[in-house]
Amino acid sequence: MSDTKKLLPKVNRSGFYEIRMESVGGLGANLAGKILAEAGVLGMGLNGVNFASYGSEKKGTPVKSFVRFAEPDFEIRSNSPVEEPHILVIFHEKMIKTNALTQGVDENATVVVNTPRTPDEIREELKLYGGTVVCVDAIKISVEEKVKLNTTMLGAIVRASGFIDKAALKNAISDTFKKKYPHLIDANLKAFERGYNEVSTKVFKPDNRYEQVAFSRTVSDLGYENAPIGGVILNPGNSINKDLSASRTGYLPLFIKDKCTNCGECEITCPDYCFVWEKGVDKHGKEKNILLGIDYQYCKGCMKCVEICKFDALKKELESNHDVESITVRHTEFVLK
Amino acid sequence: MDNNQTAKTINKKSPLPQVQGLLSGNEMAALAAKHINFHLMGYYPITPSTEVAENLDEMRAFGEHDIRMIPGDGEHGAAGICYGATLGGGRVFNATSANGFLFSIEQYPVQSGTRFPMLLNLVTRSVSGPLDIKGDHSDLYMALNLGWIILLARSPQAVYDMNIMAIKIGELKDVRLPVIVAYDGFFTSHQKRRVSYFADKQFVQDFIGKPEPIYTALDPEHPITFGPYMNEPDFINNKKQLSLAMAAAYTHIAEVFKEYAAISGREYHVLETYKMEDAEYALFILNSSYDTAKDAVDNLRKQGKKVGVVSPSVIRPFPYNDVINLFKNVKGLCVADRADSYGANGGNMTLEVKSALKDDPGNKTTVISRIYGLGGKEFFTEDAEQLFEETIDAAGHPGRVKLFEYHGATPGKEGYRMDIAMPPVNSADVTGHVIAQRDPQTGKVSDVKGVNAQALSMIPRRVVPGHGACPGCGIFSNLNIFFKGIEGDVVVLFHTGCGEVVTSGYPYSSHRITFIHNLFQNGAPTLSGLVEMMEEKIKRGELPQDKKITFVMVSGDGGMDIGMGPAIGTALKGHKLILLEYDNEGYMNTGDQLSFSTPIGHDTSTSHAGPYQKGKKTHHKDTAQIMAACHIPYVATIAESNYNDMIKKAKKAQEYSKEGFVYIKALSLCPLSWRSEEQIGEKIIANAVDSCFFPLYEVDHGKTKITYDPEAKGKKVSVLEWLKLMGKTRHLTKPENKEVVDAFQKEVDRRWLRIKAMHESPYL
Repeated sequence: MSDTKKLLPKVNRSGFYEIRMESVGGLGANLAGKILAEAGVLGMGLNGVNFASYGSEKKGTPVKSFVRFAEPDFEIRSNSPVEEPHILVIFHEKMIKTNALTQGVDENATVVVNTPRTPDEIREELKLYGGTVVCVDAIKISVEEKVKLNTTMLGAIVRASGFIDKAALKNAISDTFKKKYPHLIDANLKAFERGYNEVSTKVFKPDNRYEQVAFSRTVSDLGYENAPIGGVILNPGNSINKDLSASRTGYLPLFIKDKCTNCGECEITCPDYCFVWEKGVDKHGKEKNILLGIDYQYCKGCMKCVEICKFDALKKELESNHDVESITVRHTEFVLK
Repeated sequence: MDNNQTAKTINKKSPLPQVQGLLSGNEMAALAAKHINFHLMGYYPITPSTEVAENLDEMRAFGEHDIRMIPGDGEHGAAGICYGATLGGGRVFNATSANGFLFSIEQYPVQSGTRFPMLLNLVTRSVSGPLDIKGDHSDLYMALNLGWIILLARSPQAVYDMNIMAIKIGELKDVRLPVIVAYDGFFTSHQKRRVSYFADKQFVQDFIGKPEPIYTALDPEHPITFGPYMNEPDFINNKKQLSLAMAAAYTHIAEVFKEYAAISGREYHVLETYKMEDAEYALFILNSSYDTAKDAVDNLRKQGKKVGVVSPSVIRPFPYNDVINLFKNVKGLCVADRADSYGANGGNMTLEVKSALKDDPGNKTTVISRIYGLGGKEFFTEDAEQLFEETIDAAGHPGRVKLFEYHGATPGKEGYRMDIAMPPVNSADVTGHVIAQRDPQTGKVSDVKGVNAQALSMIPRRVVPGHGACPGCGIFSNLNIFFKGIEGDVVVLFHTGCGEVVTSGYPYSSHRITFIHNLFQNGAPTLSGLVEMMEEKIKRGELPQDKKITFVMVSGDGGMDIGMGPAIGTALKGHKLILLEYDNEGYMNTGDQLSFSTPIGHDTSTSHAGPYQKGKKTHHKDTAQIMAACHIPYVATIAESNYNDMIKKAKKAQEYSKEGFVYIKALSLCPLSWRSEEQIGEKIIANAVDSCFFPLYEVDHGKTKITYDPEAKGKKVSVLEWLKLMGKTRHLTKPENKEVVDAFQKEVDRRWLRIKAMHESPYL
């Protein structure tokens, strides 16, 4: 193999070039991984593998998609997740707050982020030790091109990689859509091109401002010595401790108290139990349950409440226009008394 | 022996032309099935094997094959469909996993004992409970005593190859046995890898030849009795024949592997080995972990340690002679089992390898057993290295390491205590809000008071926020509304499904009341057992005489397919509980496969719409009427668009569950699989109701009453008004599918007229 030309710009100890995509279910990261791997393997002749994190992931919950490339004659034995990626892709910038995304990323890695913000801003939020940050406003591009944002992200990934063949990737996009959605090929190719062109990139040398985060494999706090036998959960309702706000994809329902009649229909329709009430009196002095607002920790942004409200007291708004922390009303009825 | 670097052989010339692809194990199983051109596939969706049927169904919709695809009512039924089909003398295919395999297990010894070859892809996964959907070999080890040949496929490439060879092996004249091809759930089933497959399916056809059944049930001129009643002294002879067939298979398998290598360029071995030629220490490990272990071998060889790894391609018949020969000069051997045979001091492969070596009087190998990777726990190179180190230690220093141990189990953090999140629901706080009034003469509930969304907005929730359902999921609106009408203490039991999975992901629970999950088909009997235990304990004075708990079972429409029989049985016995079905018209937890409740023409992952297929072929199941025919005290249909109606019916359900079994069905949103806008969910449900597809009514002690009549309110719409709101039915708005929509409209109208007639008649 030493006298054949190398197709990959660099490989890790195990001989792989690796990509890890961090996303939430529904954004198409899994499909992006497939397209990327197909471009590498079928288009460029590399060896490659693509897979995702599996579980009973629902739309809106965190998912990972992995691509592992090797030189054409190099056997890929590992079937384990990518821990130290050459490219880390973040499909949804809200995940930065709630998930430890940069584990295993070093200064030689590139982080591709879907964001309208600048690489400097993103580096700060990521608390990135060092490395290259590539920003692309994939939501804007994909909304304009009327496609899912994954093909836009592919454009930015290809650009960031410096070695993935553009033509091979475009072929892989066309192949993916041609059977069932041929009418979407052109729009996706255009989104891909825009993703490729509309990136802003900056290299950050390690400057000791932030520490490098090593990859850590999850070990449960509960184990064979301290877990109750039989797998029971003795902690009723403890899912209340979870934060699901990363499930929202850019929009939230805004509560306009002045218009609210406390009719209760929003509470009826909400699948995520976000509406917070207290006993009180209404404008006419009548005893009533009064709607205080929304606990956004659990709101996944389905907007059913906006649709059902007859009084325009709930409005679909761009989340970036609001400070969610300050407009959140916390549930208190569950608190231990 | 060949090191079987599959990747290396791909680009080399094989005798017959091949195509290169990037495909997963499940995709390769489907592709092999297409090339084999089975007559029939009987199946039932279960993760992670479901994609096999999905892929085949999609190919079918695009005219790529004509394998007859038959969904079972559960895996037991699917296995029955397959058995029946094999009696007809054709080629038959199935794919399943874990509990689906166990649910159908009694059918498999019949398949082998009556000697009908077929092919089952077992995509290995942990057996419940607790429920774990990821990969280990606890299902595979259950297959060891079924009389089936078991081939193992370590990679997507091997899945394709083994499927093809399995046909040939199983159909050999002196074999005639069904074959399982087992591959690792997710690791192999879902990872896309570089593969190659034959450019022309004729190559596969030529290799396997035409099926030549010995006996068929489709030849009335030659009547045959299949499956007679056979006691001693004959039964043991039937089993001796089976044992001889296994022995014959053992000699033929290596021959078929060689024949296949000649046409494919890919050679498999009964035992695949890596650096075993001079190995002093070895690891015996199944399927996908083999590749990982090869890296460990290379690393340790660099340190001068003479290690090697072995992985069988066949475990039934067990490669007894090969095992004895291979380990003759091995000092230490670790058998790593991805499932335990609890209490046996080793997993099944440990026991079988040890048993073979015992027959070699000269063998001195120290054998250790390690249980690893349960429930899909990752197996890294470092894990394999550790297993080798322990093996070397065990052989060199007897007694220093345990011969049997778990690898990778963790004790938990010392002193860890999870803070209690919230107090349980206080019964008094959820009592007295919604009141049922009974007619003193009939004893029936005549009215329900207190139904008011605003007044009920602060009733404590039994299901709390933080569940992981998709945005806009209908299950949780339905549960919230329904529970507003239920007072006092409640115990719930959920069938396997979305509602269960997203509320009970360990160590979190979204249930503030006692919650039970039991298997997909067995909820109603399970809850009835609990109800009866409460009654017996009250009778014996072990619980207070005034103890009152309302028992609510929650199931999707999938649970009501596979669990229909048990639900009917529970209803007929009059056990005092409420069964609440959330019908989202498909098996959404496994990825949107058709259920019997899926309406005609709907596009699902096992009823694709395409040029050759127009979505689901048959009409939707009328579960409410099936349950009404059990003559239970109360049956009702509910929808979130009519939430006051739902709360009233919930209250009635609770009242009548004091007498016997109550069945409630909700039409429940699934924006993900319906491919609909989350925001307009309520409107979609309202249109389904207003089209009379989902009429809102109740059957109170046999008397049907329509509780919301869209016709009378001037709100009736055509089914198309509803269908056009969802992606899964968008194809039905096209003129070429008018026939399907007309048939659907006609059936909806017929059922609506029937309900109206029942509403009007005191007898119906």
